[in-house]
Amino acid sequence: MSIMDKINNLDRRIIYLLAWIFVLYPLIFPLGLPIPISSDARSWYSYVENNVNDGDTVIFSLMYGTSGMPELFPMSVATMKHILQKDVKFVVLGFWTEGPLVFNALLRQVNPADYGKVYGVDWINLGYIPGGETAMGALATSFQNSVAVDFVEGRPLSSFPIMDNIRTATDIDLIISFETGTPGAPEWLRQWNTAYGVNIIVGCIGVSVPGMIPYINSGQISALMPGLTVSAEYELLLQKPGLAVAGVDAVSTSHLLIVLLVVIGNVAFFMTKEEKK
Amino acid sequence: MVDMIAAWTAVFFTLGIYSILYRENPWYRIAESVYLGVAVGYGVSVDLLYIRNQWSGQWSTSAGMILLFAIVMIVGLMWYGRFTKSTFYLYRWPLAIVVGTGIGLALRTVIDAQFLQQIVAQVKTPFFVAGNMGATINNILIQIMVPSVLLYFWFTGTIRESAPMKIVEKIARYTMMAGFGSAYGYTVLTRYSLFIGRSQFLLGIPPNEPSNQLAFIVIAFVMLASMIGWDFTHKKTPEA
Repeated sequence: MSIMDKINNLDRRIIYLLAWIFVLYPLIFPLGLPIPISSDARSWYSYVENNVNDGDTVIFSLMYGTSGMPELFPMSVATMKHILQKDVKFVVLGFWTEGPLVFNALLRQVNPADYGKVYGVDWINLGYIPGGETAMGALATSFQNSVAVDFVEGRPLSSFPIMDNIRTATDIDLIISFETGTPGAPEWLRQWNTAYGVNIIVGCIGVSVPGMIPYINSGQISALMPGLTVSAEYELLLQKPGLAVAGVDAVSTSHLLIVLLVVIGNVAFFMTKEEKK
Repeated sequence: MVDMIAAWTAVFFTLGIYSILYRENPWYRIAESVYLGVAVGYGVSVDLLYIRNQWSGQWSTSAGMILLFAIVMIVGLMWYGRFTKSTFYLYRWPLAIVVGTGIGLALRTVIDAQFLQQIVAQVKTPFFVAGNMGATINNILIQIMVPSVLLYFWFTGTIRESAPMKIVEKIARYTMMAGFGSAYGYTVLTRYSLFIGRSQFLLGIPPNEPSNQLAFIVIAFVMLASMIGWDFTHKKTPEA
């Protein structure tokens, strides 16, 4: 058997082993590869910096579970830090069951109290709201009817000062949605953006990016944070390097491995094809 | 102590799932089964919590609300009719309500949000952007490629067989292949991002617990040794 045949019939476990090596090595011994800032990161940063004004009310929506955390959690943390620097009120909620779990993990890294934010006055956590797009539509018409009590203290929404001025979608200035699938941006667009004109910015996993680009081009989504690498760039812009910056070397090396494997696999395939002829 | 147990448990289940990369094995089966059980249990519990909060927060406040809540609960219980043939017909009612409200809500705005606004954006895309060659090329490509792909899915009439349409079809195929390639690249990014995130956890890179590193080494060694050891000893066993 020639070397090309061996490559064609390579044990998949060798590829997995290579993947482990190419990911673990740069994490243990950081390479410090340069991280150029892309236009996506700049537009996200400048949108939050310039378009989120003092006095605004923002929905901070975590529409992903623990499986989406590696890619979306760093950008969620960084954006929360950015938002907390401003004099805005924010409502945390999610239409994914694991959203509250993710937010609890986020609170272990970013405490709103450290930024002078008081629970119930400056921010509130409404937790998980079941029902997908139907629930989104219902929430837009009435927060109080859709959510009976808050997620943290289990008290009626009427007992929190922040909810005095938040009743329908028209009281919200911006939705910041981090998401891995459905419900996500298309549902937000249908129920909140088109129906009420609420602006939306979306952080999503890489798989979803090609589907999001048309919404960015049409201006329906105001800014897009596509995946881990752009999170790293955003962390640098914020001057708060975190997990995304720590992982971006591994992204580069792992993609290098994929490119190498694709090239070697193609060369081996076509060379053995010629030999068989 | 509790943190340490939590960290070791998380490392165990992470490596249990990754052990499938070597081969099908009991560690993977344990991790997979526990994960499914926990995920379903968690989902049910948060749904029940929401129902309880709705009851105590607003539906238990008056006789009329209690009656409405009871009707909603009965309709909800009808979902479970699908588990037996004799009650299967009951399941159709909640299904019809959910599908009906869902489609009704979506249709209200879908034409504008995902159809008209996309067409308007396409029409408004300028061919030339002064002083920005990259954007100009990008826009020209958009203006050629989007109509080409739309025409590719036009299946009726004899025009389909005409010479200009063959060119359009070719452009459309290349466009779609570029789109699929882009989707594949982003998918690789996502999958590797997940792997990198778990690797950061296993290596105890802050803010993860540094003690994860020891758990990673010990548990990985035990799992690998057990699987490789099993394979090694059973290879020597004569086949029956």
